This record gives sequence, structure tokens and C-alpha cells, in this order.
Amino acid sequence: MNLQFIADGLISGSLIGLGAIGVTLTYSILRFSNFAHGDLMAWGAYAALTVLGAISALLGTVAPIGMLSFGWPLVVAALVAMALVGGMALLLDWVLFARLRAKGQSIIVVMASFGASMALRSLLEFSFTSKPEYFSRAIQMALPVGFGIRVTPDQVAMLLVTLVLVTSMHLFMSRSQTGREMRAYSQNPALARVVGIDVARIVRATWLIGGALACAAGIMVGVLVQIRPLMGLDMLLPMFAAAILGGIGSIPGAVLAGLIIGLSEAAAVQLIGAEWRAGAAFVILMAVLLIRPAGLFGVSER
Amino acid sequence: MTPILDVRGLVAGYEPGLNIVRGASIHANEAEIVVVLGPNGAGKSSLIKAIAGLVPVSAGQVLLDGQDITATPAHLMVRKGLAFVPQTENIFPLLTVEENLRVAGGVLARSEVSPRIDEMFSMFPDLARQRRLAAGSLSGGQRQMLAVARALIVRPRVLMLDEPSAGLSPKFVEMVFAQLSQIRRAGLTIVLVEQNAKAALAIGDRAYVLVEGREAHEGVARSLWDDPVVAELYLGHRRAS
Repeated sequence: MNLQFIADGLISGSLIGLGAIGVTLTYSILRFSNFAHGDLMAWGAYAALTVLGAISALLGTVAPIGMLSFGWPLVVAALVAMALVGGMALLLDWVLFARLRAKGQSIIVVMASFGASMALRSLLEFSFTSKPEYFSRAIQMALPVGFGIRVTPDQVAMLLVTLVLVTSMHLFMSRSQTGREMRAYSQNPALARVVGIDVARIVRATWLIGGALACAAGIMVGVLVQIRPLMGLDMLLPMFAAAILGGIGSIPGAVLAGLIIGLSEAAAVQLIGAEWRAGAAFVILMAVLLIRPAGLFGVSER
Repeated sequence: MTPILDVRGLVAGYEPGLNIVRGASIHANEAEIVVVLGPNGAGKSSLIKAIAGLVPVSAGQVLLDGQDITATPAHLMVRKGLAFVPQTENIFPLLTVEENLRVAGGVLARSEVSPRIDEMFSMFPDLARQRRLAAGSLSGGQRQMLAVARALIVRPRVLMLDEPSAGLSPKFVEMVFAQLSQIRRAGLTIVLVEQNAKAALAIGDRAYVLVEGREAHEGVARSLWDDPVVAELYLGHRRAS
């Protein structure tokens, strides 16, 4: 049997997991399903593309790094874009979600996120058209790594970047005071206020981190596949499936579940047929909701 | 003597026009344990939560050391020197014992946090042994200890507790109350809302009986147990139990 699906699954799964961290944080801390999360990914990819264009216009063509398809301008563009999308998520909360959250009905906030999602997507289509864009049109050769598996240098680089981001995120949540406060707030918002945690600061941190990670995932999808206004929407179901399978609020859970879903999707493509790809995430989502609603690392509501 | 905590004619409730606390006035002096008793629904919990900034206040004043802190947002209360231990769900179950203390220590200067955690662990050795365990795995009495340690870590002027004996076995009630007596001896002012009148009055200095959202009686804690007015107001049907 061709084992290529394992490499493909791990790579797409790590991107799903990275996006799912934002979903799981928003859900556990702000207590609503943010359906606009996928669009933050797409905005991230386009923001990086725009910054990259500006850098290229200023400095001309820059040689790629080693065997990769991109040079340091994309690294700079990615960092700028992450800050921009983090800021955009904050703005979105200030303009829309915070006002609705204050009214205390989470279903209205969820519906508003649907609206925000459509508006953000349409704005991208309006500004950039639906024609796919690429960070680089260079063709990369996939290198054999054994067992009949081939990977491109870009794929390896993206996997490493994901590993670094996920590890940093885990350390941030477990070692930093803000991370501990975010976990405390997600467990008991009322007690969090009593112990002196500034809720507004926690909400801001959640949007900033969620937005920046969505942006990073969007850029990586852009590097490995292509940039399209609909790219975030396509990732939405797998990301939600990963957040739920991992257990809402659990970052290691979201990442592990992202890998499981990525592998299942790739296995479905190879073993059953490409048209079943999206079905894999859906089947897993349904099965988790029926068999273990709290997910792999989740804790049932007390 | 100027009281440390002075609550004057407090009116508070969750919904506008539906006040549960209806003009309550209580005060607590330095290093004093003040007990607030009252029948179910008298507004004891709401009173203490309103003081802590968790229930909207529509009239009256809360003074801490002469400073008006009425309706200060709850998360700023600890910074003002007022710590509160809610009755239930008063720890973060998925954080470790130490993380529970660290989260609360966020109010302190960074260099102070670790020494202060060590002080708490020497005060509560039971917790020190379980510092790396999830707080949710502690027994009821230990959870209450953690909640108290969590409140004390910020060196408050006043510690307010909502029914710390609720759901605890008599042995643990004794343990928790002994600890509170000891904390008071170190100079802290404690306001204690309790259903367990006998245990609370045994360690209290003064007590209030709250009826229908305002104080109906005030007296020296130990003599309140035998006060016929209080017996009629509240204690009478409790004493048989």
C-alpha cells in the first residue's frame, strides 16, 4: 500500500490543528462558536500576500531560503500579517461581538459570526476576486523520505513551524500568568473576577492569539496549496471537528485531533475516493458527539 | 475606633427593582470575626456578594478603611484589600493547587508571588503535599483550605467567606474554623456568613442576624446564642438540630 497519505494527512492535519486552537480558545473563553474563524485564516493569507507585494515592490526579487519556495520577505510578511489579523479580530470583537455578548445570548453571537464570516469573505472576493493567488509560482520537487513517501521542503518547513507554534502556545498556556488566567477564566468566569483577573484583558488576549494563529495557518495553506477567498470556509468543518474531538478548551487535544482528522481525510482520499474527503471530518464529528461529547481531553460540564 | 469595613444602608439585587439586600448596615473592626446569620433567603449571601462587587448595588455605601469602594468592579476588589471566598465552586478544578495560588497571586508584584506561595504552603501543609495535583482531586475540606489560601495570598485587609462549612463533615468544619481563628489572631478582619450558627458563633466576636435583607439584631457572638430575641428571629428552630 502507498503510505503517501500519512505524510499528506500529517501536514494538512497540523494546519487543521493550528486553526482549531483558535476555535477551541474562543469557544472555551468567550463561550461561542466563531464561524468567522476560517475567514480570519483567509484574511491572514491575503494580508501576507499584500505585505509581500509591498516588500517586493520596494526591494525587488529576493532569493529563496535554501530549498524552500520563499525567501525572508514572506517571513516578515507573515509576522506583520499575524499582528494585523490579531488586531482585526480585536476590532471585530469591539465592533460586533462584545456588544452582543453583553446582552448575554450566545446564540445571537453565533449568528453574528455567520454574518461576519459572509461579510469578510465577500470583502476578500471584492478586493482580490476569486481567482487563486500564490506566494510563489516556483515548482518544488518532492523528495523521497523512505517507505515510498515523498515530501517537499516547504511541507517539512511548515510542519516545523507548526510544531514551534504549538509548543510555544502550550508553554504560554501552562507557564505564563496570562495563560493560567485564560485557563482559569474558561473554567469559572465568576471566580476569575473574584480572584482579580481582568476579564477584558483575557478577552483581548484570546482574540489576539486566535487571530494570529488563524493567520499563520492561512499563510501556511497559502504556501502549500493556494490562496482563495473560500480557503477558510473549506477549513471550517475540519477545524470545528478537531476542536470538538480534542475536547473544548484543550490545546493539545485540538492539535492531536487535527492530526487525526487530517490523516482520516487523506486516508479517505486514497482508500475510498477524493469526493469523500470532507465526509471524513463530518463522520468523525458526528461519532464524537454521539459517543464522547466531551472529546478526547475534554471534561464534562459539572 | 474606625471600622475597617463599614457597610451603610446597602441596597442591592440582581434585577432592577427586585432588591434582595434592603438597607443592610454592618461593620467589622480590625482583627475581628464578624458573623452574619439569618434564615434561608434573608439575603446573607447577596449582601456579602454585593460588598464584593458581584451583585449590583443601587443605594448605600461600602467603606474599606475609610475609602469608598461601593460598586468597584469585582476584579479590582482584591487590589483594594477585600478578598472573598464564594460558597461553592471556589477553586479552579483543572488548575493544579499551586496554579490556583499563582493565578490569584497575579495581583502581587512578580517577585513576591513565589515567597507568598511558600508562606501559604507552610500555613496549609496539607496543600503543600498536593501542590502539583489538580485542585479538583482535593477533598471538600482541602478545597476549602485552598480557597482560603487563595484569598489570603494577596494579603487582604478583610476576608469575607460565604458559608465555608457548607457540605463539610463536622471534622472538617472544626478544622476550617480553627484555621480562621488562627488567621484572625494574625490580625486579619473576617466577615463570615454562616448557616452553621453554633460553630460560627463559637469563633466569632460579634454577630448580626439578617432578616429580609437588613440586619435585625446585633450583639456579642457568644451571648447571641442565648439571646431570646435572636432565638425568636432565627436561632430557635435551629437549636434543636
